[in-house]
Amino acid sequence: MTGFLDYVPGSSVLHRLDPLTKLVLSLGICVAAFVSDDLIFLLVLIALDILLGVLGGVFQKALRLLSGLLKLSVFLFLLQVLFVRSGTVLFELGILKITLDGLFVGARLVLRLTAATLPLQLLLSVTQLSDLSGVLVQRLFVPYKYAFTLTTAIRFIPVFAAEMSGIIEAQTARGVEFDTKNPVKKIGLILPLCVPLLISSVGKIHESAAAAELRGFTLRTRESQSKRYVFVPADYAFLIFTVLLIAAGILF
Amino acid sequence: MIEIHGLSFRYADADRDALQNIELTVPDGDFLGIIGPSGAGKTTLVHSICGLVPHRRGGDFYGSVTVDGMDTVETELTDLARVVGTVLQDVDSQMVAASVDDELRFGLENFGVPKDEIEPRMAEALGAAGISDLRGRVIGSLSGGQKQRVAIAAILALRPKILVLDEPTGELDPAVSEQIFRILREMNERYGMTVVVVEQKIMLLSSYAKRLAVLNGGRLEIAGPVREVLKESGRLEEIGVNCPRVVTLSRHIRDLTGGKIAATVEEAEALVREVLR
Repeated sequence: MTGFLDYVPGSSVLHRLDPLTKLVLSLGICVAAFVSDDLIFLLVLIALDILLGVLGGVFQKALRLLSGLLKLSVFLFLLQVLFVRSGTVLFELGILKITLDGLFVGARLVLRLTAATLPLQLLLSVTQLSDLSGVLVQRLFVPYKYAFTLTTAIRFIPVFAAEMSGIIEAQTARGVEFDTKNPVKKIGLILPLCVPLLISSVGKIHESAAAAELRGFTLRTRESQSKRYVFVPADYAFLIFTVLLIAAGILF
Repeated sequence: MIEIHGLSFRYADADRDALQNIELTVPDGDFLGIIGPSGAGKTTLVHSICGLVPHRRGGDFYGSVTVDGMDTVETELTDLARVVGTVLQDVDSQMVAASVDDELRFGLENFGVPKDEIEPRMAEALGAAGISDLRGRVIGSLSGGQKQRVAIAAILALRPKILVLDEPTGELDPAVSEQIFRILREMNERYGMTVVVVEQKIMLLSSYAKRLAVLNGGRLEIAGPVREVLKESGRLEEIGVNCPRVVTLSRHIRDLTGGKIAATVEEAEALVREVLR
């Protein structure tokens, strides 16, 4: 069982692409999603995300994220529909007013969110974190310290999640009802746990920094990484495709 | 060689010394086990050897720690790390990479090991830790024992002269703990690596270590060859270190008939056979 941000080993076209290409492609899709206002185009982008997921052999994972996003989307959509009050009125009951504009704004927000979230997950699914930090350092001249910070942050998400569930279990054992049906009450119970989580996280990060330093972290330079990255024709094809995608996003 | 003279250390925010006037010499090729109740200063002692104390854990430091001729206070942490390989207590937070291969490559690349040497050294370290089959695996998918062995392999790949480990078997079951200690013994016997290990399970230490150091309340209570230290089983119990049952058993036999103290199950068996004969 892998987490939703974990790397999935494989040898698909996407796995073999240069990490920089994948980074550009996924950010490109995000940009296209934000510059376009066209609902059809956003749907096309989502279809593209899913197609890429199939290509990378991580379709199941993409579906899981999609179903997770669905709940949030419904909530955001309703929020927009209820609060946007301009445009042609479709339905009115007391202060409740649903307008065409509201439907559009809501749909756009939700589709944009989905279209822009999927490629980031896809990127992490088909790219090793070391490759991601590797290209950032080698190609984009990002100092290793910052690249390491980024990959460590991503790597620590499941560690902290495990820590959190550990704390919740410990509290449940002392009679705290985390299984309550009331979401407001549940949030009220979970919020105070952020303090112990923060304390133990800072401790872990200290230990992590010490461990990295004991293995020569401060000696690492841009040249340290033994792996070198080179573009192949497929990389150029995907880069051109990304540029076209953003252009299309601006047009529509 | 590790030479510790008159070492006292108090953490910046503490109201008592974590270590008090420690005198300890660890010769090259030694296999030293450090044991003691919690709060005895075991981790602080280990951190003083690898340089985290006082470089990264601030406080009042008195006395001297010399590792392979280098004074740990004056030497940069990274230069100490070239000689002392350290496996810290929390296995999850000391991982720096997401995959086993990258975890091993990290230190090798940092210390500037030539590129064509990296591959053979990774293979060797994984082989020594008995985890050649974990190549290419994602660290998140490994068990606790596997992760611990990856952490050890990542240090072994750097070929340190001195290997320091802080409770490497803390969360592992007895069988896996034995595996870890077999790796340590192999490193110690075959490559002459000096091993210093903090361990709570005294049975493991008495079977694998050459010498024991018993800490209590920041003081070094007893230090010496395993068998010598185990003779003081009464004092060990006072300190709160449980003696292996074979030691207690052989102490009772000794009280009856005279004879030696057994450190392992095999020796105890021989002793019992002798008495029964």
